[in-house]
Amino acid sequence: MLISLAWKNVWRNKKRSLIILTAIAFGLWGGLMSGSIMMGMGESMVETAINRDLAHIQIHDKNFVKENKISNFIPNGFEVIENARSIEGVKAVSGRTIIEGMAASPTSSYGVKIVGIEPQQARQVTDISKKIIAGSYFESKRKNQIIIGKKLAKRLNLKLRSKMVLSLQDLDGSIIYTACRVVGIFKTESSLFDDMNVFVRQKDLFKELNIDPIVHEIAIRLKSAQILQVTDEIIKAKFNHCIVRTWKELAPEVAFLSIMMQQFTYLFVAIILFALLFGITNTMLMSVMDRVRELGVLIAVGMKKRKVFTMILLETIFLSITGGFGGILIGGLTIAYFSSAGIDLSAFATSLENFGSSSILYPFLPFVMYIILTIMIVVAANIAAIYPALKAIRLQPSEAIRTY
Amino acid sequence: MSLIELIDLEKIYNTTSVPVHAVNNVNFVIEKEEFTAIVGPSGSGKTTLLNLIGGLDKPTKGSILIEGEEIVNLKSGKLIDYRLHHIGFVFQAYNLIPVFTAKENVEFIMLLQGVGKAERDKRTIELLETVGLGDRINSRPSQMSGGQQQRVAVARALASRPNFVLADEPTANLDSTSAEALLDLMEELNEKYQMTFIFSTHDARVIKRARRVITLEDGAVKSDITAKN
Repeated sequence: MLISLAWKNVWRNKKRSLIILTAIAFGLWGGLMSGSIMMGMGESMVETAINRDLAHIQIHDKNFVKENKISNFIPNGFEVIENARSIEGVKAVSGRTIIEGMAASPTSSYGVKIVGIEPQQARQVTDISKKIIAGSYFESKRKNQIIIGKKLAKRLNLKLRSKMVLSLQDLDGSIIYTACRVVGIFKTESSLFDDMNVFVRQKDLFKELNIDPIVHEIAIRLKSAQILQVTDEIIKAKFNHCIVRTWKELAPEVAFLSIMMQQFTYLFVAIILFALLFGITNTMLMSVMDRVRELGVLIAVGMKKRKVFTMILLETIFLSITGGFGGILIGGLTIAYFSSAGIDLSAFATSLENFGSSSILYPFLPFVMYIILTIMIVVAANIAAIYPALKAIRLQPSEAIRTY
Repeated sequence: MSLIELIDLEKIYNTTSVPVHAVNNVNFVIEKEEFTAIVGPSGSGKTTLLNLIGGLDKPTKGSILIEGEEIVNLKSGKLIDYRLHHIGFVFQAYNLIPVFTAKENVEFIMLLQGVGKAERDKRTIELLETVGLGDRINSRPSQMSGGQQQRVAVARALASRPNFVLADEPTANLDSTSAEALLDLMEELNEKYQMTFIFSTHDARVIKRARRVITLEDGAVKSDITAKN
């Protein structure tokens, strides 16, 4: 009956309750929306980084991690690739031959990372093949094809079918030069990546270097991001002579940014709730002051002060939870809509590219966040209720009854 | 053992520069089944005296014994418990919970006492029928007349099965018909169920019906007259 009384009391002054409910609902809606956009941006950065080049897990030789030298390749790399493919949960594996070199055009030159790939394997691990904006992704059989980023193309003044020269060190330390023809230009969400990476076919690279096939990096794509931890442990145990790292270890700044976005969302909502707390306290205080006589009567006829306190607390929780659920509902529906339709931020595409984020943002809020938000609302309600509830229980029944 | 015994009771308010003796050296005894009116002009100390007897206020000096038990020194929590189980209250302005129906208003007291649902339902219906509101159990206070609301207040006061009922100016807000009907009801409850009623009033109709009239003046007992049957 105390619960029923508290619920009915919330609706005694409908106008007053609705005003604060609307404030709570829209305050939370704003918090959730901005939070989900931040989370969406964080997720986008993670997703694009994984899809672009990181994959879920990478394997390197221990020395390669210290120094990116051609000689620091993974021993029996192709055997490792085959073994990695047979691990439960692994979707695709791609071996990369990585050499630091110089890309030169007739007008300019620039330091680049030359990535030798087997196109069909790489296609299953990363999505560079989908980012081609001009030309194709190693579709012809001509030798010495190269795919470069849009930014590098602009820097070196290169076009599709332009010739360029790569200079790189071979295993002996001698510099070799190889002429390539641009067959594709890609554009990813990261302009930095587009500037620094060029892709060639592994077999062309091995032929130019006149070496047996070697790999410096093995990129592994998992069937689900949920099994990252467990698969990472399996791979680490299996290839303990190599360095095995997850994308979180490879790009801690991206992982940190993703976590930071989550923390910011909590902080943002906490600030909104803190501001709303004063509104809720004010509403409840008015509600208590309006009912001084009635509260005095309740205490007079035998309602313990503990119960009066609980009643005010329940009223505040009901008020906050109703507004909170309203906000969560409106916010949830808005997020659900935009998470499939996306928010077009192409007007800010250049700025977003510097962050490595897509220009179409898909707001996202994990389910656990809704639960934590509900807990935060209840905690805020409890805090907001303290002062009005104390005011109520400090009433002297003999005086309160005479209040008109 | 007397139901209520007031010994050298004093209540002084120090809210102004001059202390006010709201209750001044009051001594009297009230026995079970009495139908007593405490009368006097405004400011004579009637409500203060009733508040003291009801444990809503603490005296400055003196003792209040209810069935031999001193209630003056009871702590706040114990006093609330004492009121819940031993005293029924009827207020001038009815003071029902507006969001509750008549049934819920009566039932609420039993709920505070921890009475089980079946027993609560049974007693609530009985009480509302006794006060003549068996057909209004689901009405809210705003849907009832002043007289009906005061009857619900009487039913609420009796819900805890108290030792006595304190009624502060119970007829002050009622028209004469409703006031007479309420007095009939309280008289009937007194005679039929031996319920002790103590009123504070300056309503001549109540004074006429009371079997004992204690008159206060400046906080002190001026006269104490028991009607001869």
